[in-house]
Amino acid sequence: MINHIVFIFIFLLGFYAILVKKSLIKMVIGLNIMEGAIFYWFIAITDRGGIIPIVQSTQVAFNLNDPIPQALILTGIVIGASTSAFLLTLIIELNKFTDSTNPDQLGGIIED
Amino acid sequence: MELLLLLLIIIPLLTAFLIPLIDIINKKARRILVLAASLAEFFTFLFLVINNWDNIADGTIFIIYKMGGWLPPLGIVLSLDMLSFYFSLLITISVMFLILYSIGYIGHHEGKYYVLIFLMWTAMQGVVLTGDIFNFYVFVELLLITSAALIGFRRNKKGTIASIKYMFYGVIGGLFIFIGIILLYSNLGTLNYAEISANFTTLPFNTQGIISILFLIGLFIKLGIFPFHFWVARAQSTAPSPISALLSGVVEKVYIYAFLRLFWVVFDFNYIQTTGLDKIIIFTAITSSIIGHILALQESDLKRMLAYSTIGHLGIIIAVLTVNTKLAIIAGLLHVLSHLLMKISLFTTAGYLLQFVPSHQIKDSRGVAQQNMFVFAGFIIAAAGMMGLPPMLGFFSKLYIVKSFLDNSYYLSALLTIAGSITALIYYARYIIYGFRKIKLNSPQEFRLILSVLYRERLVTNIALVFAVAVLITGLIYKNFFGPLESVANILYNPSIYIDFILGG
Repeated sequence: MINHIVFIFIFLLGFYAILVKKSLIKMVIGLNIMEGAIFYWFIAITDRGGIIPIVQSTQVAFNLNDPIPQALILTGIVIGASTSAFLLTLIIELNKFTDSTNPDQLGGIIED
Repeated sequence: MELLLLLLIIIPLLTAFLIPLIDIINKKARRILVLAASLAEFFTFLFLVINNWDNIADGTIFIIYKMGGWLPPLGIVLSLDMLSFYFSLLITISVMFLILYSIGYIGHHEGKYYVLIFLMWTAMQGVVLTGDIFNFYVFVELLLITSAALIGFRRNKKGTIASIKYMFYGVIGGLFIFIGIILLYSNLGTLNYAEISANFTTLPFNTQGIISILFLIGLFIKLGIFPFHFWVARAQSTAPSPISALLSGVVEKVYIYAFLRLFWVVFDFNYIQTTGLDKIIIFTAITSSIIGHILALQESDLKRMLAYSTIGHLGIIIAVLTVNTKLAIIAGLLHVLSHLLMKISLFTTAGYLLQFVPSHQIKDSRGVAQQNMFVFAGFIIAAAGMMGLPPMLGFFSKLYIVKSFLDNSYYLSALLTIAGSITALIYYARYIIYGFRKIKLNSPQEFRLILSVLYRERLVTNIALVFAVAVLITGLIYKNFFGPLESVANILYNPSIYIDFILGG
């Protein structure tokens, strides 16, 4: 239960940063916090307290932790890193046209 | 034979990585490579169709490719049934024509453009063909990043802002899908569509609800349905025209495929119906539709107007699919085809016509009809389909949509669909009337290209006309689509066929 509460708290913290902060860089950090919360939660809820794979053939293979969440989170981290790298590139690109990184001065994130 | 499924994904992926290498050797060879690769993809698909023609005709086609030889519940599978066949067909043909259009349209930074568009093609084919839910997420994120890069392709202030905005919405939508996948995995211990589908009803009632709602929110953000529609207009109006056509016509259809595949085959649609969630989806989607049409009505910029009209039509498609009778599903799938053809046709013709006017504003479009009568006629045909005038496919798909709303006593939805068409009549007619208004030319040279990016005018006009003619012809033969679309609907109604084919084969 504590895992779910901590997850929701950190996730909403990141969401708060995206909604409230007046800097695009801080909003990207908010996205990363949300992703981090998900990765933490996934590891926490699939943990059975066993041996961590990869297991060598000589060891007794019982009470293993599921290796698939690790693989999925690794992919998730790669995707998260590439999206934030791409967003930061766009923010650098934006710096050529304007000095501001305030989303409200750039037409807002809610209005179209 | 099974290898063809892998080829459909591998060919664009390989081309994307070959283009920079070809650039180093010879820049002229790049266009030949692009042309060859898109034709190769098309002929791969054609080969698949010819080899399985009997199965496609009676709707029993089912091909499965096991990655690395691992058997389905453990390994990743690519699978093609009638549902993925229909969407893969639309993607292959329309992206091939849009790449041909781009060869004439994009005159600068071509190398980067083609790398991104081929990666986008990979991602779309991947989403449609995959049989693994995490693979689906990876392809969706690939689609997000490449399309965001293409939205900001012009590298101006507006494009960059639109791209940042699209990224924020898309990533958050993706995170909701990711949480849903985690819940599925931690409860069921599998990522395979078929195995999830077989065991989904054994989950606790609340877990089913949370998973359905998380996927629904994620897909609605990515589709741009009403509470999350804020990114659509900017993204689709600042992108280059072929990319606007691709985003509005094809990428949105890929998410509609995901909606169908996940909620009918993988998850249990009965759950949504028993909890009354379908009423909420229909309400949201129809609200989205009417808001899209109203926003389009007050818009003075042509491409933004077309983008808002996309919101309007997607709302109708989602609503009619959620009605969930056989006729409603067929009507929704028919509207997927007609909206794809009409929107690509509108954006490609508009992309050509906008080269001759000083700005995208509708009031600046005076006299574009004088410049090129044929392309303007193409625009009128596609717009007539959007308004729902009789000989076009848009009329018949809307007719069946309204009929299926009325049959299931969603009277307000039917009324709002018709109201949306009438609104569309007003805003397209406004542009067409401006286009026909004569302006006095001081010299014959005056009406030359204002933005000189277009350098293969004939190729661009011909491709734009191909789509306009397709809108007309598909309208004349619309009855022939009912048989195949019915077998698509059968796949949706019998998830057990899908499960048996993947886990049993």
